[in-house]
Amino acid sequence: MSAVPAESAQSPASRPAGHAPSAPIRTDWLSKTLAGLLLGLTLALTASALLMVPLADLPLAVSGQLAMWLVPPVWLGTLSLVYFFASGWRAWGWLSGANVLALGLWWLARQGGAA
Amino acid sequence: MRAEFIRNYKSVHTWTGILSGLALFIAFYAGALTVFKEPLLRWSTPPSAILQPVPLDAAQPLIAQTLSTQPAALRGLTMRMEDGQAIPRLEWKVRAPQADDHDDRDSRHYAATLAADGSVQVSEEHPSQLVEFIDVLHRVVGLPADIDPYRWFMGVIAALYFVALVSGVVVLLPSLVKDFFALRVGKNLKRMWLDAHNVVGLVSLPFHIVMALSAVVFAYHDQIYAVQDRMIHQGQWAQPPASAQGSKPGDAPARNPADMLPPSQLVQIVQQAAPGFEPNSLQYTQATGPRPMVRVWGKDPQAVSPRALGGFAALDPYSGKLLSTDYLSGQQSTPNLFISSFFALHMASFGGTAVLWLYFLLGLAGAWLFYGGNLLWVEARRKAQRKGGAMPTQRRDTAIMAAATVGVCLGCVAGISLTIAAAKWLPGRVEHLASWHVGIYYTAFLASIAWAFLRGAARAAAPLLWLAAACTLAIPLSTLLGWLLPAAGAWADSATLGVDATALVGSLALAWMAKATARRTHHGPADSVWAVPRKLPQPSA
Repeated sequence: MSAVPAESAQSPASRPAGHAPSAPIRTDWLSKTLAGLLLGLTLALTASALLMVPLADLPLAVSGQLAMWLVPPVWLGTLSLVYFFASGWRAWGWLSGANVLALGLWWLARQGGAA
Repeated sequence: MRAEFIRNYKSVHTWTGILSGLALFIAFYAGALTVFKEPLLRWSTPPSAILQPVPLDAAQPLIAQTLSTQPAALRGLTMRMEDGQAIPRLEWKVRAPQADDHDDRDSRHYAATLAADGSVQVSEEHPSQLVEFIDVLHRVVGLPADIDPYRWFMGVIAALYFVALVSGVVVLLPSLVKDFFALRVGKNLKRMWLDAHNVVGLVSLPFHIVMALSAVVFAYHDQIYAVQDRMIHQGQWAQPPASAQGSKPGDAPARNPADMLPPSQLVQIVQQAAPGFEPNSLQYTQATGPRPMVRVWGKDPQAVSPRALGGFAALDPYSGKLLSTDYLSGQQSTPNLFISSFFALHMASFGGTAVLWLYFLLGLAGAWLFYGGNLLWVEARRKAQRKGGAMPTQRRDTAIMAAATVGVCLGCVAGISLTIAAAKWLPGRVEHLASWHVGIYYTAFLASIAWAFLRGAARAAAPLLWLAAACTLAIPLSTLLGWLLPAAGAWADSATLGVDATALVGSLALAWMAKATARRTHHGPADSVWAVPRKLPQPSA
């Protein structure tokens, strides 16, 4: 399911990169798919960690379930939308940034919680 | 939106769809039938196995004696109820030691009844497990057992399915208004199928998103919990609840099940706590241990049921103290209700009979969506006949996919119908009903696939549709024969005529499709996937 080749019928000309006036959109199937799968998963796990912060008052048996349910929509949502990035590099860059941001927020929230 | 995005997402939709379509067809077709698990269970139960209910408390001696004399029953003993009365047979199962959590293939089933002299009679049962088998097909996309690797495979399919849903919407968005309100019935059959695929997909999109995401959860929740426990919960998740710690078996004196409150009182306590709740079974666990519990299972037609079976209140069977209402329909806290709604939205355990029928139809529509999607894939790759030219030889992959689509989908329909119909003929003739049901399904399923590949899609489609229609017709015919000739072994049950009527309608629909397909393969345009090669200038497969 990773490297999905473009259908030959539907992408007739693989444009030489950089020749079009507006930046062309590269397909980059493998790198975009991997970015969505890997960075989407880490983003989803961190998002579920962030969700635990406002749910701290609930019993873990309940908040833990809610946090688990958050993972697939964020993960697969990221994977589904990753092909809107103009290139595989951009997908990795932006999603890495989102991961760092989310992890930073979580770190801050835990500092606040500990204080 | 730039055209490149649309084109890329079209590729994503095509590939995720084609990889998951066949598995999803089985999941949706079997899942649609699983909605009616209860009537199907009753339909397939021989009349000799149906006991007359007795007043609730008349079952108390049976419960107490079984729990005192059958150690294996202590892990979970179930008594069913009907209209506020008890079915005087208690059931429990002993799981195979190495079996997966969800895998009941090697479990042994036991039942206890009260003999005329008041003694408990225990017997090993060989239940047909028919509805469980159809449910397993649904849960693991047609594979034979609900075990971890198969569930993970299902999870991959569900993830592909989710990506196919999003990408399909992206492709459709720019022309949404134009395409959504258009069903171009006409000469261009491919256009019509595509329009119908779009309309059905978009109208049932919320249903499909719920199904895809919850199926991913069902496949991978253990793994997600494990990672979250290490990353977020600092190992707290895997810890047993504090109340369970520190109570060693020796702490409490062994309890005597005869001291438990009678069932009527347990039911009354729950009904006071939840007025709309209608109990339908009692499940006793660890009755002689330090943490005895009885779960009063049931449904509240006005409320969301936390699980497919309904909801339950947990009680101490000796004191009658309510231990938990976390899973009690109608009495859940908001966060618990929120979580339960994910299950309920997948399993149609809310809203009563109307929602069951809605889910049944949405499930069948979903199956059609995947069948049609595959056919569109085939059609898009087909080489057209040049004007006046010879019939072109089609690509190998399209021929394979066309045959696989016809064989897998129609084989699944035929196999499930045949194994359901067999439920009226197997009891009393064979001992291991469950293996027979599995064998019958896979024989019909695999034979259909083999036939489709042997003959090619066009030649196989109509005969396989007739086969599916005949197998489905066998369901009401078995009932009819049971009514006319009870000596033959089958039986008719007036409570489940709805099953027979639905199967009859289904078989008529399949017969209509068979006729239409046969007409098209023999008299439709020759330049088509659905044309049987005729004596034209150059006949070729």
